[in-house]
Parts: sequence; structure tokens; C-alpha cells
Amino acid sequence: MELNAAIETRSLNKRFGGVVAADNVNFKVLSGELRCMIGPNGAGKSTLFAMLCGLESADSGQIFVFGQDVTRTQAFKRVRLGVGLTFQTNRAFHQLSVRENLTIPRASAKQENMEVGQARLEFALDAFGLDPKDQTKAGELPHNQLQWLEMAMVLVGYPNLILLDEPTAGMAAEETQQTAKVLKHLNSTGLTTVVVEHDMAFVKDIAQTVTVLHQGQVFAEGSVAEITAHENVRKIYLGRA
Amino acid sequence: MKTIIGLIAGGGDIGRTRVFWIGFGVIVLLFLLYPTQTSAFRVSNVSFYLLNIPLGLGMALLWGYCGVLSFGHVAYFGIAGYTYGVIAGNMSGHPLGPLAGVAGGLLASAFVAGIFGYFVFYARVQKWIIPILTLVLTLLLETFLGQTAGYQWRIGSVLLGGYNGMTGIPWFQLGGFVFEGYSFYYLCLLVVLACYFSLRMLVNSNFGQVIVAIREDEVRTELLGYDIRARQLVVFVLSAMLAGLSGLLYVQWGNYITPSQVGLLQAALPVIWAAVGGTTSLLAVVISAFTLNWVTYTLSSQGNQYAMVIIGTLLVVTMLFFPRGIVVMVAERLGRLTTRRTASSKP
Repeated sequence: MELNAAIETRSLNKRFGGVVAADNVNFKVLSGELRCMIGPNGAGKSTLFAMLCGLESADSGQIFVFGQDVTRTQAFKRVRLGVGLTFQTNRAFHQLSVRENLTIPRASAKQENMEVGQARLEFALDAFGLDPKDQTKAGELPHNQLQWLEMAMVLVGYPNLILLDEPTAGMAAEETQQTAKVLKHLNSTGLTTVVVEHDMAFVKDIAQTVTVLHQGQVFAEGSVAEITAHENVRKIYLGRA
Repeated sequence: MKTIIGLIAGGGDIGRTRVFWIGFGVIVLLFLLYPTQTSAFRVSNVSFYLLNIPLGLGMALLWGYCGVLSFGHVAYFGIAGYTYGVIAGNMSGHPLGPLAGVAGGLLASAFVAGIFGYFVFYARVQKWIIPILTLVLTLLLETFLGQTAGYQWRIGSVLLGGYNGMTGIPWFQLGGFVFEGYSFYYLCLLVVLACYFSLRMLVNSNFGQVIVAIREDEVRTELLGYDIRARQLVVFVLSAMLAGLSGLLYVQWGNYITPSQVGLLQAALPVIWAAVGGTTSLLAVVISAFTLNWVTYTLSSQGNQYAMVIIGTLLVVTMLFFPRGIVVMVAERLGRLTTRRTASSKP
């Protein structure tokens, strides 16, 4: 186990009936890295995220988070190790106010990260234009703010690692750019970030390294330039144009 | 002190304005003065309406705030009532008997709810199955208690009594002071107020916010670092103890309990009180539990056979036209009206 790995999976396997969602996945993200994960629909990206945060259990293999074997650790305990996740479909508490959404995660915040975590949170709230005292129902917010609210909720827990599943889905170009700006800043403060995305412009803007998943396997890994030039990646995902 | 007031006045329940608290104080004062203006019989009836409120509050907490519907919470009402009857009955004549009965009743309801809730929540039983499981539990309890007729079904000197029920259950007493008639009425009022304010503090605390989050989205809440199963279990046990509290007051009020108290009809009542008032407000359930008990009791005591039909119809009307509950929707309208008036009166 490499000491500065934020995440490491070893021979991770997961099947849903006859569908292979993870096939011997060996995946590693170093601390402080900003990694993007791409791949066609059904490649196993969301399942990998679900296994990393404990929502799905692996059929076999191991998962390490910050050097700790969490393969059998419950989801809420993984969060307490400093893992935060946003979902592909927004799961902020729509019936509760913005204020409540941002207050609820506070009691489980990782206190040893308080100083840097609070600075990250304040930066994000400011950049996203979210007021932590806002009494507006979250469900009444426009789509982009709802996405940003869920990211901010995760940051309230002062995480060391965030997993974002399609954070810019449905956003306009300007909003996507703003999201990229915030994620790059958060990463510059040492926050390990893993993003699943389909928007290649966004991926090119933020990624240091890109992992391509295909049919439950790590198909390719490398810099943005390497991946975009990769003949087989172009064939299965990016297109030849 | 400031924290306690802050927790009571927080946004977890309807009623936060000065006008509301003045009105609340006036109503409490009227309840305090009521026994001086009426007969002992009517005071006893109102005691009955009041003693059911903790059961309704438990339902509001569990269903409205935590999102878990129990269709069998009267099981804990019955467990506490029967346990009190057995303990206090066997310690008859001992001044600490009723107190031991109260402690035993609450512990018994908490214990059974703890075991039941543990298997339900830690096995991650799907939410829609929980009402069925809880109903099965209470119907099993009713069936069991119903066949306990005969001298062989006794605990110590107390007979369980089958469908005729347990009779001769002692009044509650503290030292030499026995709570009956007017004093029992004040005891019920005190218990209701204590439960209401305690629960208001609970729902306005961080714990309360997290249980609301669990209601909204269990997975999201778990992925914010909370052990949702433990919290659901705590709320389940707490609401069972509130049901148990009502059961204790019930047996102290009537000095008897029968298996029908844990039957299907009784099981439906707290669900109806909560639905009609509005599950997401403690005060709404207090109002509806009191009012619907008054309606049911008044209609039944006048020989009207259709009391439960009327209550059932009210439930259907509520579901169709006031899905968030009558009291909650009226409170929301009043709130909007007040805000509009305040806004229009500003220059």
C-alpha cells in the first residue's frame, strides 16, 4: 500500500447478475491529485464510486482509503475518514432550507481539518453565491445552485477527499466554468478530488490525470493529452473526429 | 437557559411568533382553570383526551419527523399499561408500587421496542414493510392477551384477565399522595406540556435536524457521516416510550386495560390523529389528538354508533384535500396572511 495514496483498489470485482460492473479494477489516486474518470455509459464509473464510499459492497477485492482497509467499513464510517461524495442525480434535501442543508452535515465534520476545511467551504460558498443563512427551500433553487449546494454540503464535513459524480450535468457553459474554477482552487489547497464527467471540455480544463473505464475495467490512464491521443479511447468513447 | 428557550422556539414546529406564545399561554391558563369551572366527570373526560397526546406525539416524531410509519404503536401503550398493572398490583398497598410500575412500564415498552427496532433498522428493512411488521406485532399481542382468561394466567397475584382485561389497577401515587380526579387531570396536563416542550427541543436540536434529513433522504444523510440506523432506533424507542406513557396514564385513569387497547381499531387511531393534524408538526398532532379524542368520546358516549365512521371519513377528506394535515395547512395560511399584512403595512 503506497503511503500517499488517497484511494487504492486491488482486484475489485462486482457483478449485477450477468452484468460485470467492475472487473479486476486496480485503481489508485494519490493524495492531493485531481483525477477525472471518463467512459461510456455502463462502464462502471458510478458503481466504482458507490463501492468506494460504501454504498455497494465489492464481490471481491480490497479498497483502501488513506492507507486504511475500508473494504468492509460502513458508508458513514468512511465519511468520517474524510470522504465526501455528491451523486449523479442531485440529492440535496429539497424540502429543507439552504441553511438547514448546510447545517445538518456540521455535527459529523472532521474537526482535525477544521481550519483548512472552513477556508475551503467559505471559498466555495462565496464562489457559488450561496448564503449559509438562506431560508429558501433547496428545491426552489435553480439547477446549478442545487448542484453547488450539494457540493457545499459535502465541504461542510471538512473532507480530505471528494468524489463528484457528474457535477456539471445540466449546467450552462458559464456555470461549468465556475465549477471548474472552484474545483481547481479546492484542489490547490490539497483536497484530493475525483470527478466522473462526460463533458470533455470540462475534463480537459481541470484534470491532471484521466482514467478511462470501459466494461468494468480500467481501460487507459494518463494525462489529458495522452488520453485524447489514445487511439482505442477515441474509438470507444471520444470518437474519431 | 438561553439555549433552552432557543431550542423551544426554533423552527422545527409551527408557532414561533410572540402572538403564538401569548395565545399558547392563554390556552394553558384556561386548561389550568378548567377544573374550577366544571364537574369532576367532565374533568375526568378531558383527562382522557389529554392522556392520549403523548401517543400522538410519539407518532408525529417517528412518522412526521423521521419518516418511519408504525401502525402498531399501541403495542407499547399496552405493554406499559399491563406491566404497570402487574407491578403496581403486586405491590398493592406499598407507597412505591405505582412508581415502580411506571418505571417498569416505560422500561418494558423501551425494551420491546429496542429489540424489535434493532432487527427492523439494522436489517435495513424497507420502509413500506415497517407498518406491516408493527401491525403484526400489536395484533399478535392482542391475540395473546385475549387468550389469557383463567386463573392460570396470573403474574403474582394479578390476573391478566383475557378479553375481559386486567381490572383493579391502582392509581398513581407519590409517597402518600394519590393522583385521582382533579389531581390526575393536572398530572396529565403536566405530562403533556413536558412531552411537548421536550420534543420541541429535540426536533430543534442537531439530532432533530438529522432525523428530518433521514426522512428526506437516508442515503444522503448516511453519506454525510451519520449512522442512520442508530438514530432511527433511538427515535423508535423514544416514540414507543411516549406510547407507553399514554398507556400508563390510561390504566391509572380507568384502573383497567383490555386487549382491545392493542387491537386494530386502536392501532389506527394515532395514525389518524397524526395524519389529520399534520405529521410534520408536534403542535398540530397535539391539537388533533385532543380534538379527535373529544369527538370520538362525545359521539360514543351519546350512543352514536358511527363515531369511527366519522373519524374515518375525516381521514379520507384530509388525505384528499389537506394532504399535509388540516392544522398544518391552516397554520401555513395564517402565517402567509400575517406576512402579507406586515409587508403591506410597511410604508
